[in-house]
Amino acid sequence: MDYDALVVGGGTAGMESALSLGDMGYSVLLVEKEASIGGTMILLSKVFPTLDCASCIATPKMAATFHHPKVKTLTSAEVTGIDKKPDGTFDVHINKKATFVDPDRCTGCSSCEDVCTVAISDQFNFDLIARRAVYIPYSQAVPKKAVIERAGTSPCTFACPVGIKAHGYVSLVRSGLYEEAMDLILEDTAIPGSLGRACYAPCEDDCTRCELESAVPLRLLKRFAADYYYEKYPEPKQGPPDQLRDEKVAVVGSGPAGLSAAYDLAKQGYRVTIFEADEEPGGMLRYAIPSYRLPNEVVDRDIKNVTALGVEIRTGERVRELAALEGYNAVFVACGAARDRTMGVEGEDLDGVFSSLDFLRRANGGDPPDFTGRKVLVVGGGNVAIDSARVARRLGAARVTIQYRRSREEMPAFDWEIEGAEAEGIEFEYLEVPVRFEGVDGRLARVESIDMQLGEPDESGRRRPIPIEGSEKMYDVEVSITAIGLVSYTADWRDGGGIFGDAKMSADPDTLQTALPRVFAGGDVVTGPSSITHAIGQGRRAAHYVDRYLRGVELSPQSFNGKLPAVAKDEVLTRQKAFRYMNGDRTAERLPQERIGDFEEVELPLTEEEARASAARCLDCGGCSECHQCLSACPAKAIDFSMRDEHLTVSAGSVVISTGFELFQPLKKPQYGYGRFPNVITAMQMDRLLSPTRPYNTVLRPSDGKIPENIAYVLCAGSRDCRVGNELCSRVCCMYTVKQAQLIMGALPLADVTIYYIDVRAFGKGFEEFYQQSAAMGVYFVKGKVAGVDEGPNGNLIVRYENIAGDGEVVEAEHDLVVLSVGMLPNQDALGLFTHEQLKHDSHHYVHEIDEDLSPARTSVDGVFAAGSTAAVMDIPDTILHSSAAAALAGAHVERVRT
Amino acid sequence: MSELLREPREIMRDEMAMRRHLYAALEDGPKTVPEIAQAMGHPSHEVMYWLMASRRYGLVKESRQPNEDDYFTYALVEKE
Ligand SMILES: Cc1cc2nc3c(=O)[nH]c(=O)nc-3n(C[C@H](O)[C@H](O)[C@H](O)COP(=O)(O)OP(=O)(O)OC[C@H]3O[C@@H](n4cnc5c(N)ncnc54)[C@H](O)[C@@H]3O)c2cc1C
Ligand code: SF4
Ligand code: SF4
Repeated sequence: MDYDALVVGGGTAGMESALSLGDMGYSVLLVEKEASIGGTMILLSKVFPTLDCASCIATPKMAATFHHPKVKTLTSAEVTGIDKKPDGTFDVHINKKATFVDPDRCTGCSSCEDVCTVAISDQFNFDLIARRAVYIPYSQAVPKKAVIERAGTSPCTFACPVGIKAHGYVSLVRSGLYEEAMDLILEDTAIPGSLGRACYAPCEDDCTRCELESAVPLRLLKRFAADYYYEKYPEPKQGPPDQLRDEKVAVVGSGPAGLSAAYDLAKQGYRVTIFEADEEPGGMLRYAIPSYRLPNEVVDRDIKNVTALGVEIRTGERVRELAALEGYNAVFVACGAARDRTMGVEGEDLDGVFSSLDFLRRANGGDPPDFTGRKVLVVGGGNVAIDSARVARRLGAARVTIQYRRSREEMPAFDWEIEGAEAEGIEFEYLEVPVRFEGVDGRLARVESIDMQLGEPDESGRRRPIPIEGSEKMYDVEVSITAIGLVSYTADWRDGGGIFGDAKMSADPDTLQTALPRVFAGGDVVTGPSSITHAIGQGRRAAHYVDRYLRGVELSPQSFNGKLPAVAKDEVLTRQKAFRYMNGDRTAERLPQERIGDFEEVELPLTEEEARASAARCLDCGGCSECHQCLSACPAKAIDFSMRDEHLTVSAGSVVISTGFELFQPLKKPQYGYGRFPNVITAMQMDRLLSPTRPYNTVLRPSDGKIPENIAYVLCAGSRDCRVGNELCSRVCCMYTVKQAQLIMGALPLADVTIYYIDVRAFGKGFEEFYQQSAAMGVYFVKGKVAGVDEGPNGNLIVRYENIAGDGEVVEAEHDLVVLSVGMLPNQDALGLFTHEQLKHDSHHYVHEIDEDLSPARTSVDGVFAAGSTAAVMDIPDTILHSSAAAALAGAHVERVRT
Repeated sequence: MSELLREPREIMRDEMAMRRHLYAALEDGPKTVPEIAQAMGHPSHEVMYWLMASRRYGLVKESRQPNEDDYFTYALVEKE
């Protein structure tokens, strides 16, 4: 047996049971789901009727438990299942949640909290104040260690093939930390300026905010950060790493894949040389994407991030044999898919018929053809066709038509691109395809096209276009640009033993290693035409495995991409009942008539105001945004994002369930105005306001920070009330209310306190005296059932109550703060834990004590005992007594199963 | 019955974006919550969340005594 006893829940009952068992010499495992033990008691102000400071009496118990030699405490852990074994002992399954902070290193200094960029409601302050995604539960927490709340990877970050922490930079921009946002982006990519303009932004498609109005404009926010940074730093901040390694790596191709692999490898100290066939580096970024979408100056500045690390880019050097790269320890081939697919129709080689890449390359490379007054027909339906058409428009064409063989629904180009083209006067002819280019004197003069109809879906899932015989027609055009798809071309490599096919290269899809161990290949040359962001992802993947290869570490496929699973959008959306509509996004563009006259950028950048307003729409899906501010701030280097949940199974001789209670949710009594009027709060919130670790500087009204003068308590809020399904008396509310009233009289001597009650239940030792004492201190007790609360001027509240002590008339009274003495409800967590036997509950769903009179704490499962408010509503003294009983019975059970 | 208030979780999320407006409001001297709210153009109960969190993390501090209307004033904490 690993432990004599398992105790589930580390509140008053759990600590007391664990201490008692430990003192008796039994070994105990105490499992608490929060990051600190202490439960509710440590959060209270003082305790009734003694008015002892709750912190003063709870903290020593917490410390004694945590440091007890026989008690092992697991915080941030949950028992997920308990199997009862035939010998009377138990197998316990536990999920120890990753806290992403190494507890052995964390000193509890709070530096991380000061810099964290995510504000989350503090569960220990019951919605009164925010904490941070990284947090130490409270100042007396035991253990006093920071933990990071991460529900998973945020969907945007998860969707990014590059691994850019999209949520992270959003939260940094929201906080006004633009340089830090860019530093974070630069952790993962060298080319944020390009991505901020030309990325197709799969992150935005997956953004949870899409379910409400529209995505957080993640791409534009990246552009915003990049523009800010590039203006401040025309030259990169970073230089080559201090420690260079001996190994040399050759990268073939300086497109996004090649640049990214070089960037990651150079950061690790490798000596990297990029070989580029073109005159300038950048691949498609420079030569294909038109400068009205991505200016070359931005590409240049992005590439400086790579060269600043010491990467040499040798342009004008086309590599066509691996033998030329003999001196390099590893090679990454990323030469892209830089050829147009040919149509294979008559006349394709006429003057005036361009392939899209040749055309775009000329236009971007400073040798644009003159289309003034020409009629241009672009063939194709993808993004390249749209780019070609819009460039043709800017080169002075009189009329530009895009001809596509399917209908608009099947068009692979993005809607916003099609709309952009339409706005620039580009025409579309759907369900048509050229069958012949006709020339006069070797120059294109006409295009013969045929109509198509759509048949069954083909392997791409889109409906297959079928020519309609006899529908041929002629178009008079002087220029045609074919953009029917790109292919890679590797047939001209002279060696390589088969890794270079005629078109695509073959490489392991995970490690990108080819059949030649030192040669890796990735990007479009392997995948076929994809996108910038996918190509960068491939480059980074290659860098990861090239590094492992060079270090002689096994290339295990799982080692790349250690992201946590994505948090489910439903989970995010159920955290709130209602969301405010926030129309923060926009894509402002220059006017079409103005922009078609030049190659200046079409899309306007976000202003600072727009950037911050749109970043503020982020829902913080994953909790922590991975902004990495804590990583740099932590002096102990305790933050560790590689931590993962641990699943443990231990055996135990007995089980004590001490999972406590839940509080009544006052939104269920809408007539009391909670959630509608800021000055209606719960007694738990008031206990926080009165405690030494209070969220405000003193007791203040949440509506406006005013010191309240006239406070009302509504007793039995959610207790003894069949209409909310809780007919039980919560037993503690009368007394904690009296306690709070006395504390308020002490803290705010000028304030009046009125308690509206049906009857006051003062049944315990010293309770009646306590109650009488408060009446003597001047607390008003009004025998009246509160029917409703409304808001009056200045946030004051009108309480309507039935005057039970009088004639039953309805009376109104004005107060400036109303406290709902909410009741306790059963925590049913433990009921589903047992796999072989059902842990029974009573008719109110508390854990059933099978022999309440003679053997309290004993449950329906032999060897399992309930301690404290998990079995019935009880106050702290009763909880202590009950827990000692549970511990004694658990010890006796251990003795039985041992023999 | 009037509308529910914005959920605390949502208001709290705004804190990081709202901070600079909050600090701008306190630039010219200490203010009460209603005064800050007026300067920021946001409801005072929302300002409470942002202000109290800033106080919690040591960025603003309250006056020693409340004014005659029972409001404390809050001031920016001077950075070292
Ligand atoms: C507003 C208010 C004021 C009060 N004031 C007083 C007072 O002045 N004096 C007094 O005597 N009593 C007071 N009480 C009652 C007192 O809080 C309870 O009697 C006492 O906290 C019960 O202790 P417990 O251990 O049963 O539950 P808790 O203290 O709530 O502890 C339960 C623990 O179990 C953990 N847990 C829950 N589920 C799981 C799970 N599945 N796995 C692992 N861990 C889990 C919880 O995180 C928590 O740490 C007050 C109650 C309220 C609501
Ligand atoms: S990474 Fe950023 S958001 Fe996450 S806990 Fe650290 S500071 Fe907070
Ligand atoms: S709401 Fe924020 S965290 Fe969630 S997916 Fe969108 S940008 Fe990412």
